[in-house]
Amino acid sequence: MTDLIFSLKDAALRLNGNAGPVDILHGISLEVRAGESIGLIGPSGSGKSSLLMVMGGLEQATGGTVLAMGEDLTAMDEDALARFRRDRMGIVFQSFHLIPTMTALENVATPLELAGHADAYTRAEDALKTVGLAARAGHYPAQMSGGEQQRVALARATAPRPAILLADEPTGNLDSANGEAIMDLLFNLRDQFGSTLVLVTHSDALATRCDRVITLRDGRVDGARDSAAVA
Amino acid sequence: MSLALATKFARRELRGGLRGFRLFLACLALGVAAIAAVGSVRAAIEAGLEREGASILGGDAELELTYRFATDEERGWMQAQATAVSEIADFRSMAVVGDDRALTQVKAVDTAYPLIGTVLLRPDIPLADALASQDDIPGAVMERALIDRLGLSVGDVFALGTQSYSLRAEILREPDNAAGGFALGPRTLVLRDSLEGSGLLSTGSLFNSKYRLTLPQGADIDALELAAKETFEGSGLRWRDARNGAPGVAQFVERLSAFLILVGLSGLAVGGVGVSAAVRSYLARKTEVIATLRALGADRSTIFLTYFIQIGILSLLGVTIGVILGALLPIAASPILEARLPIPTQFSIFPAPLIEAGLYGLLTAFIFTLWPLARTDRVRAATLFRDAWDGASRLPAIPFIIATVAAIAVLVGMAGWFNGSWFLTLWTLGGIVGALVLLTIAAFGIRIAARALSHRLRGRPRFRWAMAAIGGTGEGAGAVVLSLGLGLSVLAAVGQIDGNLRQAIAGNLPAIAPSYFFVDIQKDQIDGYTERLQNDPAVSRIDSAPMLRGVLTQINDRPAIEVAGDHWVVSGDRGVTYAARPDPEAIITQGAWWPADYTGPPQISFAAEEAEEMGLALGDTITINVLGRDIRGTITSFQEVDFSTAGIGFILTMNPSALAGAPHTFISTVYAEPESEAQILRDLAAAYPNITAIRVKDAIDRVAGVLAGLAAATSYGAAATLLTGFLVLIGAAAAGADARTYEAAMLKTMGASRRMIAASFILRAALLGFAAGAVALLAGTLGGWAVSTFVMETDYTVIWPSALLIITGGIIATVLAGLGFARRALQARPARVLRARE
Repeated sequence: MTDLIFSLKDAALRLNGNAGPVDILHGISLEVRAGESIGLIGPSGSGKSSLLMVMGGLEQATGGTVLAMGEDLTAMDEDALARFRRDRMGIVFQSFHLIPTMTALENVATPLELAGHADAYTRAEDALKTVGLAARAGHYPAQMSGGEQQRVALARATAPRPAILLADEPTGNLDSANGEAIMDLLFNLRDQFGSTLVLVTHSDALATRCDRVITLRDGRVDGARDSAAVA
Repeated sequence: MSLALATKFARRELRGGLRGFRLFLACLALGVAAIAAVGSVRAAIEAGLEREGASILGGDAELELTYRFATDEERGWMQAQATAVSEIADFRSMAVVGDDRALTQVKAVDTAYPLIGTVLLRPDIPLADALASQDDIPGAVMERALIDRLGLSVGDVFALGTQSYSLRAEILREPDNAAGGFALGPRTLVLRDSLEGSGLLSTGSLFNSKYRLTLPQGADIDALELAAKETFEGSGLRWRDARNGAPGVAQFVERLSAFLILVGLSGLAVGGVGVSAAVRSYLARKTEVIATLRALGADRSTIFLTYFIQIGILSLLGVTIGVILGALLPIAASPILEARLPIPTQFSIFPAPLIEAGLYGLLTAFIFTLWPLARTDRVRAATLFRDAWDGASRLPAIPFIIATVAAIAVLVGMAGWFNGSWFLTLWTLGGIVGALVLLTIAAFGIRIAARALSHRLRGRPRFRWAMAAIGGTGEGAGAVVLSLGLGLSVLAAVGQIDGNLRQAIAGNLPAIAPSYFFVDIQKDQIDGYTERLQNDPAVSRIDSAPMLRGVLTQINDRPAIEVAGDHWVVSGDRGVTYAARPDPEAIITQGAWWPADYTGPPQISFAAEEAEEMGLALGDTITINVLGRDIRGTITSFQEVDFSTAGIGFILTMNPSALAGAPHTFISTVYAEPESEAQILRDLAAAYPNITAIRVKDAIDRVAGVLAGLAAATSYGAAATLLTGFLVLIGAAAAGADARTYEAAMLKTMGASRRMIAASFILRAALLGFAAGAVALLAGTLGGWAVSTFVMETDYTVIWPSALLIITGGIIATVLAGLGFARRALQARPARVLRARE
């Protein structure tokens, strides 16, 4: 049991919208082991991104339990969750979410600075080198293409060598060539650091690169299979 | 740890430049500049008064006596202390040329005058030459206004009392003029010796004598002041020295600037609304960055500090710009200000008022940005995935509320401490807070009402869109009503107070006030004077009374100041009269009047209202010093005295035998038909040249003139407030520009014409402007009523022209600001707008 990274039991998410409460996730139970990669697929509105948010502590489950590396995310306050992410997680977003007033290097160094690493900038430079953007270290997000921005985001997520890597449709805003390059980088880095990866995607082809694929429908797990079976 | 990191993040965020902060900076800078400029002008005047203290005073020290000259003994004391002494007499008189006459403030000087400074004349001749006798006619110099009024030219002859003078020159500059205080007539300067036999300075006449001393180097002024007060104790002596050469002017300047700074603080509060709006909209744009930082593991305190430091740096920048402007503008305008101010000034950069203004600015920025900054707490990382931003207004956490209340307390404390009037400060800041609360409630009410109305306006799309927009865009309606409303409230309050004050002075008084005050009527002239007027059908009423001036020195044998504190009755010399019988219209409120033939120990009838304020009771003894002689009497009655009608009113009346020995003159008021006034004056002046006539209407005009100046100064302050309000309004319009562009694009897509959309935009702006103006009018009227009733103690009526101007101004301002930004929205092509939105 010690190599369990995620353990979700009957996890539920209910959000209060203008038209009243909406149930997004219903009784999700799921276990993810260390070093495993999981692909989350399903149609739009199925709850893929919401499940990723719950696993990343960006959203707190309103029912059930969510254990991440043995810690109960549902019992933590906002700051405790932030610290947990800082120390254990790297997240890649579909829309990159780079901070526009920071250079590529500063963006990558930010989580390292937040964690109090003295060598934040050296490590950030290395991370940029790894994604092939050493020459763009001093550039601002607005001066880079979408693919380049996502590579910086990837460097930012992996620079602290997190135990967990969460990616929410990281190629959704990119063309196919750039998307493919990003996915290669993502899996290489994940292999390099031995991180546990949870990837949300629309694409079956991308999902099959993961060890296990979980399909969601209407906020419920509709099926889980090893990627070999998909292939 | 998080402070260093937050500073680093803040610095990076500042790379975004000042985009979105121009309004923020303008609001702060304008408010701070206005306060710093007022403070700098005050400091320049104070520095000028200090530098020229001795010159303004006309010596190192001045001893002033009322209605008498110093005795030989007193002169001897002064000679012993000083290296030089100059004696002058100051009084009102009539300058007469043929049938024409005009009131003048005469200064009769000796040859030592002026001890310091020079009197500048045109033609440029020495004063001694100008005043010297030629062909047995002494010389005189006059101010231009009086020369013009009497149509004189240099060399012409005029009379003061029975003495003729030759006009030798015009006074260009009188070094000791600023210390003289409020004068009812322009100045004439003559030699005192020339007045012998003119009948103008006889015992009992109303004049002040002033003795200016030049003190030896290193003289201990404090010790000398003490010695003078001991030597002249009970003689009604007033002491002044060069350290505060013009206390009246200094006090006036201090009070006026304190008031203007409070008006400036109102402006800063209006700016604060803009500052708050700017920070809110900036942080709304930063939501994604904040959420990203959260996702990367930043805690709430790091994020709060990041933006707190950033806004702090920007606040410092705004305040610095304001301080620099406030320091430099008065210097740049100094040639104009120096020419317009009748007192010496020394323009320079004065740190104290700049620090004061800077602190006000920083505190205001803190107060108005803390709550928006506290909202960073509520941005969650989940915002990156979905719209998890809870934009609803909610109170921030308790520590933020405590910090805000503490900052307001510090601001109020600072304002009260700096301007010295807690009363005025609390009134002003209470008014601002009250207006803000009222406007916030009104903004909320307007939105609810608009929302409800929009449902009832189906079939009238322009109205319905306008109402829906007002009811829906919470930020827009709130910002407009608050910013414009607060600016207009200040202007409305100033308008209402000013209007009521003018009405009280210029509107009400003349109807019941007499035409003329005659003073210095000698005992042997009063019968003839009365006869002339009684036989005149144009005269409806004459009131005459013996007039002495005395200083109330003791109450129940204790120093009066100890008993009555700083009550105005004991602060200087007061009119005293005697009468055998009470005035037929007098109302005795307590006690009984003395018998008509009473000759026993002195008895006093005291003004009832003032007696109550001073804590006096029947049987109390009062000692009054009249022309150097102490007269002690017992209060045996109180009577109602109305000082508000400009008629004759005395604080203190005694039985005739108590004052029989004291030399005195008579004072008289005459109520006459306006068309006969000139003839009465000519007749009386011809028969009694020593009598001085003061036309009540002229005196009121003069007071009204001073008030007009005050109102103008206040209006400039209020205008700065309104300008800030307008800036905030533009900011609110700019913030809503994107939403309007999108709305216009949507409406066009659905088939609305540009004209229709424009009409709806104008309607929306006009309705909001009307609402802001109406609420401002309510707040301003309440403020005006409170100040008129409780501070000025005058009657209050709504001044409608000013009120209507406020509402019209509100509508015009919002429509202008709205139209400025509506053009772009109307011109944009729907496809582009909608595509950019996707």
